[in-house]
Amino acid sequence: METIPLINVSVWLIVKIFVLFALGLYIIFAAVVVKQVGLMIKTIEVGFEAPIKFVAWGHLLFAVGIFVLAIIIL
Amino acid sequence: MADIFVAGNKEKPIGKDEKRLDYRIPGIKKVKGRFYSPFSSFCYFPLGVKFVSKDPEEEIVLFLRRHWITNVGWIMVSLILLFAPMVLSGFPILSFLPDSFQFIAVAIWYMIAVAYTLESFLGWFFNVCIITDERVFDVDFINLIYREITDADLDQIQDVTVRLGGAIRTIFNYGDVIIQTAGEVPRIEFTAIPNPDKAAKILRELRVEEEVEKMEGRVR
Repeated sequence: METIPLINVSVWLIVKIFVLFALGLYIIFAAVVVKQVGLMIKTIEVGFEAPIKFVAWGHLLFAVGIFVLAIIIL
Repeated sequence: MADIFVAGNKEKPIGKDEKRLDYRIPGIKKVKGRFYSPFSSFCYFPLGVKFVSKDPEEEIVLFLRRHWITNVGWIMVSLILLFAPMVLSGFPILSFLPDSFQFIAVAIWYMIAVAYTLESFLGWFFNVCIITDERVFDVDFINLIYREITDADLDQIQDVTVRLGGAIRTIFNYGDVIIQTAGEVPRIEFTAIPNPDKAAKILRELRVEEEVEKMEGRVR
């Protein structure tokens, strides 16, 4: 396994930290989507609220799932 | 004496539930139906549409959204993003990564694709313009962290401009309606809406009706 000589840390460990950081940011983005969809539904109702909410929550759960999976498999 | 010319009344009688079908928009012959889909871009008297601060007696006359053709760009990009990993799987682009990292890289790619698609869809879906019998209401969903909601009373409208130009816009008959108001927000823009001339005409007629109501002292 490749290591960085000075600090003797695996390159892939550093990559893993960056990937987890990016996925963490993505979870925040997905949470903002859920919040914004909720606000927009309060602002305007057009009769398609439930599927949109479902997609927004599904997206958030997908992001959390990938984050957890990344922690396990990387 | 026998009538020579008798206007045939071929229209079906209006049932109790369809009462509002008979609502006549000034300047428009008659509202033919009230078919409404949540994905409509141009809809008279939409069923079930509500917006914040709507008065109970206020009636939504026209519901507008960007023309569906404006979605073609982001739908194409989304499809490319969706199928790119499958197409590129034949090329060893990620082969320098361990298997687990390759898997997560593909998952991240799909997450970006989903984010792009979702934001584009929401940007179209929630970017709506509503004309009621009292005012115009414009919701601009600019991006996920910025939205703008503007409304103006019909009697505050000073000028309505229709802007329609370019080959695609002419073919699909969509364009912008720009409303100058005397309110705090001097300009409301309905962007890329279908049938902009019709929308402007309805707006003009509603303004005339509002003025008549004002003169007759029937203002709510």
